[in-house]
Amino acid sequence: MLMLNYDLSWHSLFPFAKLSGAICIYNKFYMKQNSTLHQGLYFSKARSLLRVFSLSVFFSSAFLPNAGAEVLKPALHSHFLFPSSQQIAVSGTVTDDLGEPLPGVSVVLKGNNSVATQTDIDGQWSLNVPSAQSVLVFSFIGMQPQEVLVGNQTTVNVELQPDVQSLNEVVVVGYGTQRRSSVVGAVDQVNAAALEGRPSANVTQALQGASPNLIVQQPNAEPGAGMNLNIRGISTLGNNSPLVVIDGIVGGDLNNLNPSDIESVSVLKDAGSAAIYGSRANNGVVLVTTKKGKKNTRPVVDYNGLAGVNNPHFFLKPVKGFQNAMLRNESAANAGVASAIYTPEQIRQFQEQGDYEWFADEITQSAWQQNHNVAVSGGGENSTYLVSAGVMDQRSNFVGPDKGLRRYNYRLNMTNEVGRFKLTSMLSYSRREVTDHASSTSTLMVDASRVPLYYAQKDSLGRYLTNDVLQEFNSLGVLEKGGFRKYDDDNIFGNLTAEYAINDNFKIRGVFGGNFYSNHQFGRTLRVDYFPKGISGADQNTYDESRKGLDLNTQFIAEYSKLFADEHDVNLLLGVSNENQSSRGTGIFKRFTDPDLGTPVTETIIETRSYTSNQGAAENSLNSAFGRASYSYKDRYYGEFSFRYDGSSKFHESNRWGFFPSLSLGYRLSEEDFMANYRENIGNLKVRGSYGVLGNQNVDNYQFRTTFFTFQNAYGFNNSGVGGTGYNFANENLRWERAATFNIGADMDFFNGALSLSLDYFNKTTTDILVPPAVPGVFGTDLPDFNSAKVANKGWEVATSYRHNGDLFRHFISLNIGDTRNEVVEFEGEERLTGREELQILLKEGYPYNSYVGLKRDGYFQTIDEVENGPKPEGLALQPGDNRYVDVNGDGIINDDDLFVFGNPFPRLTFGGRYNVEFKGFDVNLFLQGVGKRTMMIRGESVEPFHFNYGMTMYEHQLDYWTPQNPNAEYPRLADNGSPSNVNNYRRGSDLYLYNAAYLRLKNVQLGYTLPESFSSRLGMKKTRFYVSGQNLLTFSKVKFVDPELSEFNSNMESSGANSGRAYPTMVYYGFGLDITF
Amino acid sequence: MVSDWILLFKMMKNKILNTIGMAAMVLVFLTGCKKLDLIPEDQFTDENYWTSEGKARSVLNTAYSQMANSATFFYNEALSDNAVVGRGDAEGVASISRGTFDPSLVRFKEEWNESYAGIKTTNIFLENVDRVPNMNEDSKSRMKAEARFIRALKHFQLMTWFGDIPLVSQDLTLEEARTISRTPRAEVLSFILSELDAAAADLPANTELSANERGMLTKGAALALKARVLLYEGEWQQVVEVCEMLMNGSNGSYALFPSYADLFHPDNQYSPEDILSLQYVPELRTWGEFFDFAPISVGSRLNAMAPTQELIDSYLMTNGRTIEDEGSGYNEDNPYVNRDPRLTATVVYHLYQWDADGGTPRTIYTRPGTAPDDTGKLDEYSPGSSASPTGYYWRKYYDPEHSSNMASGLNLMLIRYADILLMYAEAKNELGQLDESVWNQTIRPLRERAGFTDAGALTFPSAGQSALREIVRNERRVELALEGLRIFDIRRWRIADEALNGWVHGARFGSPSDDGGYIRVVQRSFDESKHYLWPVPRDERNINKNLSQNPGWN
Repeated sequence: MLMLNYDLSWHSLFPFAKLSGAICIYNKFYMKQNSTLHQGLYFSKARSLLRVFSLSVFFSSAFLPNAGAEVLKPALHSHFLFPSSQQIAVSGTVTDDLGEPLPGVSVVLKGNNSVATQTDIDGQWSLNVPSAQSVLVFSFIGMQPQEVLVGNQTTVNVELQPDVQSLNEVVVVGYGTQRRSSVVGAVDQVNAAALEGRPSANVTQALQGASPNLIVQQPNAEPGAGMNLNIRGISTLGNNSPLVVIDGIVGGDLNNLNPSDIESVSVLKDAGSAAIYGSRANNGVVLVTTKKGKKNTRPVVDYNGLAGVNNPHFFLKPVKGFQNAMLRNESAANAGVASAIYTPEQIRQFQEQGDYEWFADEITQSAWQQNHNVAVSGGGENSTYLVSAGVMDQRSNFVGPDKGLRRYNYRLNMTNEVGRFKLTSMLSYSRREVTDHASSTSTLMVDASRVPLYYAQKDSLGRYLTNDVLQEFNSLGVLEKGGFRKYDDDNIFGNLTAEYAINDNFKIRGVFGGNFYSNHQFGRTLRVDYFPKGISGADQNTYDESRKGLDLNTQFIAEYSKLFADEHDVNLLLGVSNENQSSRGTGIFKRFTDPDLGTPVTETIIETRSYTSNQGAAENSLNSAFGRASYSYKDRYYGEFSFRYDGSSKFHESNRWGFFPSLSLGYRLSEEDFMANYRENIGNLKVRGSYGVLGNQNVDNYQFRTTFFTFQNAYGFNNSGVGGTGYNFANENLRWERAATFNIGADMDFFNGALSLSLDYFNKTTTDILVPPAVPGVFGTDLPDFNSAKVANKGWEVATSYRHNGDLFRHFISLNIGDTRNEVVEFEGEERLTGREELQILLKEGYPYNSYVGLKRDGYFQTIDEVENGPKPEGLALQPGDNRYVDVNGDGIINDDDLFVFGNPFPRLTFGGRYNVEFKGFDVNLFLQGVGKRTMMIRGESVEPFHFNYGMTMYEHQLDYWTPQNPNAEYPRLADNGSPSNVNNYRRGSDLYLYNAAYLRLKNVQLGYTLPESFSSRLGMKKTRFYVSGQNLLTFSKVKFVDPELSEFNSNMESSGANSGRAYPTMVYYGFGLDITF
Repeated sequence: MVSDWILLFKMMKNKILNTIGMAAMVLVFLTGCKKLDLIPEDQFTDENYWTSEGKARSVLNTAYSQMANSATFFYNEALSDNAVVGRGDAEGVASISRGTFDPSLVRFKEEWNESYAGIKTTNIFLENVDRVPNMNEDSKSRMKAEARFIRALKHFQLMTWFGDIPLVSQDLTLEEARTISRTPRAEVLSFILSELDAAAADLPANTELSANERGMLTKGAALALKARVLLYEGEWQQVVEVCEMLMNGSNGSYALFPSYADLFHPDNQYSPEDILSLQYVPELRTWGEFFDFAPISVGSRLNAMAPTQELIDSYLMTNGRTIEDEGSGYNEDNPYVNRDPRLTATVVYHLYQWDADGGTPRTIYTRPGTAPDDTGKLDEYSPGSSASPTGYYWRKYYDPEHSSNMASGLNLMLIRYADILLMYAEAKNELGQLDESVWNQTIRPLRERAGFTDAGALTFPSAGQSALREIVRNERRVELALEGLRIFDIRRWRIADEALNGWVHGARFGSPSDDGGYIRVVQRSFDESKHYLWPVPRDERNINKNLSQNPGWN
């Protein structure tokens, strides 16, 4: 390959030198930078165009030549007087590093952009150039541009190398795109490759571990269950979920998307990048861009399939039946119960008869999961298209009639250009069908896991059995015969963008899009009789609920971009938008319906909780103006200002509008002349910083008004129900929550771009946080959110990747890690302690939000003497082997004055890592993910033996309990519910219930093989890869009896009870996948 | 360079102005389209709510529902020596009765918060009802009286548990609620009494209620509550006076219902004995505590609260003697025969004949190893199982017309006429005036109604004041068992040291070496120095620094 050794760049201020044929010798490195800069110009132009289309990455440079010429004219003047009129016809083929032909590559004569073409479907091109001195520039997004001196060649074949520095990668940002090199905000982009080949049931799941401080938690592994998505930790006290923007439309549902349709996901973390979304951006923004066709390409058909089996895995393991009987006797005896619960004969009998299958194992089974997707894409001169269809089928691991989740996705993305007018239309349809049992999963799981192994769930006559632990019903009966809930949710998501280029610098566009959904649920509970007693579903409920909603988003945007005097790159964007959401629903609930059909019969009652669509109708609206002005000088200094001005229906007129500005600055230090040495020997270096204010309006509709609502059967007179009225007190002064966010970061690369590193530090202070105030009971009712708290949140992120392409092996490693720490700075000078089962959670100045509060254990009382002289809770007669607590005030009494503040449930030091290696046709992908620090509260039967007399089996991990021979046990001595020892050890909330939930998990492993192209093409395929994939194969954690990934909190940081042990089992997946491109 | 900059700014300026102008126009267009003043479709605002009598009544109905709840009504029984909780800690009664609690116990907070929630509803009503245009004055004054009654009732409940409490006679702002201090008990008491007088003046007598108003508050209810308040204060003379206002027929018409057992049957709701009851409606507004009270073989889930041996022992023999009396005829091996018929109407014991739903009676086996079939075995005493920890179950208030999960629409009587007679007898005795005529007006009719026929039980016993006191107190205990009142009697009689300490027992199915073979269920502890009053909830004192605490707590 020829390298050009002199500079023809417009950047040079010495055209004379070029004309005179003088050769300016630059060092090699500088040349490379120059070409990058040159390339940068193209792409800054491309970026504008892309913005114009509101489209994404793979727009080829098809329409660059014309536009580019416009830009270049003022700079080039008329210096290009080519000495020769002789035209040389040159042609060739452009391939990628794998030898695949690359269509759509821009081939431009350096110095005269009007002489340009692009490669066709087969990567071929031809062009007439003026002279042998002509230099051709080959460029393609995602590839390093290349310059070639024509010389005496007539055939120039070029192989473009992937752009590992990805400085030219196009990054999707709010209302547009930017080149990676000019991004000055904290933006992470996750590309399609990171999401591929994993059996992810939805996009949220697929994003786990993909970006630092993008924290995905799974409260429950059940098909269709929601996930927690969070960016940079806890900065507000309500909903901490980020704003989701899909193809420019605000507020879509990630879980309705087909992961295969996704081109990229941008995560906007700081104020600089997110402020343009103003009032909703406090928790960060997730921008999803879907795939589109490429121009001038033949139809490409892609098929991806993945089929496998999810195997339920329980971390708990019950003890053997006879062992449990002995333990119960011990526990009862320790509590002073005189008579044994089980006689020696019974225990012997349990041992002889052997154990029945654990109920939890009996109600779960392995289940299939399949994902299949087909996409057809392509494009002509003026249009592109992509049509995709996918099906995801995840069967439930519960036994009984078929249950699980199916999702169907269809998508049509099209772009059309007519002159200066461009139209992009996207339409996607998704349907989710979930079939569930009629009960609650946690009830079924807890009931099944609590029963000792000497009970059977079903007898030989097929009767479902009840026992001393389960008196009314058992989980197997409910799952097999108890009825169902069926959900079918239809969702149409559309986006129409019309754009008109008034001239080459000034464009306007209108975006109209929205989300229409229709969710429906139908359920029946069926009566099941148990032996010797018990009935479930006796009411024979049949119900229907449906909800329809429409979220509309209208935007008008004007955009101006121009390069002045070669070095001042200016981009301006101004827009206005309205977003409104409205939904209505109906529900009808009947009891005592026909057992076969669920139809009404004589006894049928329509329940009063049935509702018509005026009840629970919801509506809100947001009007906004927003804008961004960005400026860069010599592609070296960057400045960006953005703002949003939002007015929301959720606030009273006087507090309605909020203004959210941000300022970002960036400096590519390595571009400076004095850094030439560094640049040459080490690599790129950019520093960037931003400061801005973001908002949050996460409150319910109408909260600023005191409202009265009526309901039926509040009370009764003369045996007839009468209605009542309830009230919701208002806070008229409700206003926006505001988060001031400072971010500083650096992007750098080393070893010629093989190693890249990004560092970020942020400091965010959210004021006027919307949170219900501490309301005394004397007040008589709850209050809605007040702007009454302030939280500081600090953290950092490191993302690094390394690529090494050897002769045989190609390695790619990426690692990311982030940490956040929040602290409540103000809460009206008050503290709020909220009971969470045995413990409490704290909202108080100086502590992280929702820190656990309880007593601190100080070993065990080992002797009667210690008991008598040691501190004890009031009224409790204790024994050796009971928990001893730290007596803070030394008064000898353990009470509320002795509480400690412990850790909090939010994950810190979250990390993800990928390793990919390719060897000939083989590839191996490893994906690891985990949490470095988290306090997890676990309680209930998995901690406390014979919990409240509800749980009646112990588990193996609990066998390490105190006895005189085992004085340093993990758990205190056994003693029945209600005994003073039990009250002391388990009812007094202590750090006994807190566990270290740090973990490292081998989340996904793929082993793949790609058929040689020669072989594939004989089969009529371009590319064929098949692979095996495994999920959740290995977990390393200190807590052994619960999946450490489970969370007891949802994304609103509301606790669903610290009963993670009662969750649907963790699924270990093994599957086979196939990717074919035709 | 400089000229470039000028060029740049000029161009930018023009473009920006143009753009802003255009954007502004679009913005005007847009905001005109979509207004931000949205009004809820399914809720009234404060401005448009108070428009009719019906709407005012609807708020009052909510206040009625806040008078009491079935869970505390029943489970409070286990705060006393009549019942014990063997599983769980429903309504905090296990913790309280065992003495293993501190001010953070959730029950205290719930009792406090729910009471003040009821008070708030009444205050909102009282402060807004005058806004209703053209409202009938009579119904307005009656409704105000109902609200004042409920407000007084809530204060009475709070005062009984906590002693000094914040008196909230008007709706508080958040600021006031955060700084209010406890009003001395005496002041709360006089507020309650004067409010009840005012309410009684404007409330109709029970005879004036139309059929569809049955269950609404009456003059009689206000007087009866006043009698109870005075009883708890030991204002014996006033108790006598108020009870007489109800016994002489001048404030409505009240009488004992002929059958004790049938009094708690759904057919006999709104009997002349019912002075104030918490209203339930089958299917629509139900309570379900019996799902954890009845014998398991008849369809309950498990046993969460069981009668104690101590309660069983308090029932007299049919000859009027206590089981300990000489010549009582009590046989420890056949303990349930020849007993006060109210025992069978209240408690289920071994070999009980359970008749329900009209079929043949089912025999209940609670002695271990006696049941003939698998279903019957479910009721047998078995430590650590879901069966009763005492070997006894409940019968009184069992609703044979219950729907699934024993959901019942049966009204729960908060004050009934029998209570008036018992209050009268007690007050008269304390005044040294319990003579044969008072006896024949009170205890005798109660025993006759219960089914006693033996003269030994019916005739006025010639005994001294303190012996009569024991008789009246015991009569009160058995007559009102499972009506949630025993704990208040124990507290006002100051007998907790004896009644609420030590082992609680069950039937004689236990180890013969302990307590004569009576099952030791749980051990209780009552600290006289501090347990007579509940501590002010910890959370409440965290928020409001002006709230003081009861003695012995911090």
